[in-house]
Amino acid sequence: MRVARGRLLSNLLGSLGILLTLGLIYAGLPALDRSLPADQPVSPDRPYTVGGGVTVVPPPGAKIDVTQTRPSARQGTVLFLLGKVRYVLVVTPFRGDLHAATDRLIRKIVRAGGRQVAGSERSVDTTAGLYGRQGDYTAKERGGRYAVFLVDGVSIEVTVSGSDAELSRVSDEIAASTRTIAYRGGTS
Amino acid sequence: MTAVAGPEGASGASVPRSARTAPVHPTPVWAVARKSLLLPAFWLVAILLAVGAVHLISVLREAFLEYPKATALTVALFAVYAIPFWLFVGALDYLEREPPLLLATAFGWGGLVATTVAIPGNTAVHNLLAKVYSPEFAASWGPAIAGPTIEETARVLGVVAIVLIAHAQINSILDGVIYGALVGLGFQVVEDIVYAVGAVDVAGRGDDVGPVFATFFVRGFLAGLWSHTLFGALAGFGVGYLVVRGDRSLARRAGIAALALGGAWACHFVWNSPLLAVEVGDNGYALIAVLLAKGIPPLLMILLLVRSARHREADFYIQQLVDLDDPKIATPAELHVLSMGHLRANARRHAYGRAGTAGRRAVRRLQRAQARLAVAVSRSDPVAAGRWRTEVLAQRGRLRVLGHLEASAPDERTGSLRRRMLYLLIGIAVMAALCVGVTGLS
Repeated sequence: MRVARGRLLSNLLGSLGILLTLGLIYAGLPALDRSLPADQPVSPDRPYTVGGGVTVVPPPGAKIDVTQTRPSARQGTVLFLLGKVRYVLVVTPFRGDLHAATDRLIRKIVRAGGRQVAGSERSVDTTAGLYGRQGDYTAKERGGRYAVFLVDGVSIEVTVSGSDAELSRVSDEIAASTRTIAYRGGTS
Repeated sequence: MTAVAGPEGASGASVPRSARTAPVHPTPVWAVARKSLLLPAFWLVAILLAVGAVHLISVLREAFLEYPKATALTVALFAVYAIPFWLFVGALDYLEREPPLLLATAFGWGGLVATTVAIPGNTAVHNLLAKVYSPEFAASWGPAIAGPTIEETARVLGVVAIVLIAHAQINSILDGVIYGALVGLGFQVVEDIVYAVGAVDVAGRGDDVGPVFATFFVRGFLAGLWSHTLFGALAGFGVGYLVVRGDRSLARRAGIAALALGGAWACHFVWNSPLLAVEVGDNGYALIAVLLAKGIPPLLMILLLVRSARHREADFYIQQLVDLDDPKIATPAELHVLSMGHLRANARRHAYGRAGTAGRRAVRRLQRAQARLAVAVSRSDPVAAGRWRTEVLAQRGRLRVLGHLEASAPDERTGSLRRRMLYLLIGIAVMAALCVGVTGLS
């Protein structure tokens, strides 16, 4: 049982072609993606559209990570970067009450690894009249805060993470930004 | 070597379509499956399948740990969902069945290799669009640009890999269609499983099976008919043409293959495009209308291509039996029936009506033996031809004992029309139910 040398060679070349193309897709495109900067400046002077009808005024000095920011009509995500502090808003349709929405976010936080919810939960509201719950969580050498709002079948999840020193430096700006969250430009 | 069926020119008989426009290359007798073990492509595919399997298992393992009930249901539902598609695609080539191992390889490539590669590739293209244009552009047009570009490329490579492993098994353009469709089916099933598990996670209600059924309904039924399986079939058509039409110039064959891949890309682009987009739950009737508007044109186009390829291949194999010129092997009416699936089914039904289950079974076995005999004759394989000839005669004897002399159906037209009307009514009822169901998903 033998295979002609010519066929073996063409088979090898074809196989290498397949491998090369798959490699370009699997590793080449991600490498090209990583080679370009992901952060872009964003104006702190006007509301930023997160998606799903939700807007927020970004904290001063914040940039957005465009790879983690996806606005659409029914849902949306935005990642603001303030130095090494990550300030994330996730908007999704949600069937359930505020308690269930909060549970869902806490599960996500805990599942992310090494994180634990700390302290008690508190009420939070926005200038546009949205009502929600907020709390804190801890992780190794990092801390964080979370808040959840629920309006008209849409959940708005807010998470902030960074080292304690970094968080305390931008805490007021982020809290002020969170208070500007609005749904469809107005109150609930 | 291109085998050309039937008498030509001098005999005055018409030249079959298969000889004119779609030559069939029967698998040579000397082609041995074990020879593939000596080819680099075989080991490449084996390694890639193993890597893809490890990746999929790791994804499912996490899902099982988090949502055991929902994940088990997802896997079971979509595994069952794949069966009729697999049977349908496999049955497209009734006369010259593809080796099950190659069919499984095609399915595995789509489900294990193409999905594994597509995930980082798709993400990278989305990110690049967001960086070069804007996150808004990436969110709305990313699926339409990244999906077809990455996924169609990764999938068509699966058909190319099968050609490299078992070139002799690509006998006709139809074979390319079948392998392409199965690569697409594998991709579709695994992608749907991942989406369903993701929907459970997003819903945030714990190990809840509700999102699984919703995903199954939307992605399996509403979008499943004209999704990746269809796109894969079109791209596979091009590869089949490239391989089989050795009588054409390489430039022309490569052009047709590129056109088919471009067609698959375009169909996928339109499908994922934000134009004419309706969200599930907004309006069931509007969603169904959009799905039909986006899905039916490519579905019809690909069905026509498949129909044409099937008929041409059937012409070739039927001609093998015609050349035997033996009514004990196949009568003229049976030759006509053997070439088309619905006529074969008509003949089996007719036999059932006249001779019960035994009659239907005998006709089914006779048809299968006639098909295998045609393939054996085309391959100049006297051993297999002898075996299937004996089987044909045995089933012919059974039919004679049952008083059913010929495996054909006299009143095809009436039966066919009645059945089509029934299918149409069922289709309308299903569409109405889907509209109500989709509206209820809001």
